[in-house]
Amino acid sequence: MRRLHPLSGALRVGRGLVQGAFFGVIAGTTLVGVLGLPAAAAPLVVPALAVALGGFALARYYRFTYEIEGDTLRVESGVFARQSREIPLGRIQNVDSRQGIVNRLLGLAVVAFETAGGAATEATLNAVDEAEAERLRTLVQRHGETVEDDSEDATAVTDEASAEGSGAEPSPGPATARPDGQELFSFSTSDLLTYAVVSVRPAAPVLLLVGLPLGIDALLTVLEFNLGLVGGRGTVSLSVLDALGPPRLVALVLFTALQFLVAALVLSIVLTVVEYYDFRLVREGDDLRYERGLLRRYSGTIPLAKVQTVSIRENVAMRRFGLATLVVETAGYSGGSRESGQGVAIPMAPRPVVYDLAHDIEPFGDLDFERSPTRARRRYAARFAIVAGVVTAVGYAVDTLVLGSGYWWLLLGLFLVVPPAAHLRWRHRGVALDDEVLATRTGFWRQTTRIVPYYRVQTVFVGRSPFQRRRDLATVTADTASTSSIVGGSARVYDVDDDRAAQLRDTLRERLYSDLLARKRDGDA
Amino acid sequence: MESLHPRVRLLWAGRTALGSLVLVGLVLVVDRLFVELPVELALAGWVVLVALGAVHAVFAHRIWRFELQDDALFLVRGVVTRTDTSVPYVRVQHVDTTRGPVERTAGLASVVVYTAGSRGADITIPGLRPERATELRERLRDLAGESEATDAV
Repeated sequence: MRRLHPLSGALRVGRGLVQGAFFGVIAGTTLVGVLGLPAAAAPLVVPALAVALGGFALARYYRFTYEIEGDTLRVESGVFARQSREIPLGRIQNVDSRQGIVNRLLGLAVVAFETAGGAATEATLNAVDEAEAERLRTLVQRHGETVEDDSEDATAVTDEASAEGSGAEPSPGPATARPDGQELFSFSTSDLLTYAVVSVRPAAPVLLLVGLPLGIDALLTVLEFNLGLVGGRGTVSLSVLDALGPPRLVALVLFTALQFLVAALVLSIVLTVVEYYDFRLVREGDDLRYERGLLRRYSGTIPLAKVQTVSIRENVAMRRFGLATLVVETAGYSGGSRESGQGVAIPMAPRPVVYDLAHDIEPFGDLDFERSPTRARRRYAARFAIVAGVVTAVGYAVDTLVLGSGYWWLLLGLFLVVPPAAHLRWRHRGVALDDEVLATRTGFWRQTTRIVPYYRVQTVFVGRSPFQRRRDLATVTADTASTSSIVGGSARVYDVDDDRAAQLRDTLRERLYSDLLARKRDGDA
Repeated sequence: MESLHPRVRLLWAGRTALGSLVLVGLVLVVDRLFVELPVELALAGWVVLVALGAVHAVFAHRIWRFELQDDALFLVRGVVTRTDTSVPYVRVQHVDTTRGPVERTAGLASVVVYTAGSRGADITIPGLRPERATELRERLRDLAGESEATDAV
């Protein structure tokens, strides 16, 4: 059995000592205060707690051992509650490694193994050195390739019985240098910057808003500057705002809002650059391997045989320039709060490049999307009109009760937007039944095309809300085992005719069985 | 298509009645300790909720249907949004029967079917007689096993 790298152990012990000392100071002073102990007792608590926490970290380091033996990964851990875990290599979906700044300086990496079940990462090695990370990755990868001949991987998520006993013995020897894979994609600096500008993060304004109180001084300076621009005097206070009068107040608000948006955009660009700096995607045999990150480096392997769904994302700006993002999902990662780069195979490339790689991963023909019946568009129009109506009503109420400006009717302009909005939503939704895959598409601002091979379908839902029932429409959802927390849910066919929905459901069920059988037969042959 | 045991309506209605009682309790606590609240209004609201719950339970029972089809477990449910769900037998990971304390007093049991899916990975069939629940669980287990066998051919 192997241990984690000694440096990471030392790091943990050091952290334990510091934490213990810190708690010791707090606990010492409270104890002296509450129990009325002599003041000399307080300094004694500090080393005691430091030694306790440091010792615990040391014990944890010595208790944590792991090894790949045959075709299982074994991890033993825990000081008081001991745990030993065995993970069959064939069940491992992804191997990821990440390096924070400290670990990069020390040449260490945190390696995480993901399987399909469970709510958290199954095994995390925090931390081993880079060569060891590489060795582990190669072992898992090679195991995948030897088993590939039995083609049990195709249904690994469900076929428990067939997998047992078929695993060929991998050679657990030291990692020999693999021939360098073929590079599929890498980011040049200008492409990265374009990507950062084009792919606006919806979370950036929220982050900025949360962060504002931290930079309160800078905020006040900016506000004073804004006030000066519109001709206000003195310091920031509510009375100054009163003195401005409506037109200058509106100008001030608009100007500040503009500044906020620009700041959010800059923040979004910085975050994207930090996340995707030096992105590389390499194909090694039957695996994709990515690397990315400016401060923290992330790298990982995605076995192609374990890909559940392939998604292509294009937002409005990207569509305009013929660009797209490719995301592949496996059944790993079950935690919800993962960073957004998960599963991104190509952050941004011309559409043909993205489709080529998608075809490579999951063969499919030309997708011929079929739109929902036009009565679905009427449904969207009705829905948007209700929203516009509610907003107008609220605006009217606020204006008559609080503001008294008499301009509430400007909100009626929202109704002008309703027809085009409904049309765009309708136009960008669709479904295509290919020979091998089900493809669904939705979203105008951020269009997502989801490609699901029939043999990956799990449960099929057909839902009809009361409003859909009125118009004989239904939504079909094809659930897969992929993690959809980030990309936003399963493949969904919105608002198709009721009969068509039933037909889709039956097709999906039939194709699931026939494709599984076909794959089994291919595997046996 | 098979429907659920009629007693499940009582179970559902009772659950909403108890659940909304918590709201009344909260109102009472706030009324006693902090500000005065119209307690009569809260009670009236509770009665309305209970009535709604009962109506919902009746409709839910009328709509709930399930069937073991040749390749999938098929269920129809939902009062407001009606959903039909097909769980292919190959995708069944494992099957549980559960009997909570309330269900036990009502003499009922549920069957839970688990899949590896990300959404709706567990599907519950409530309101079954205990014998029927056991029978269903065994049948589903066999079907899941069989489908894997034919799969291998």
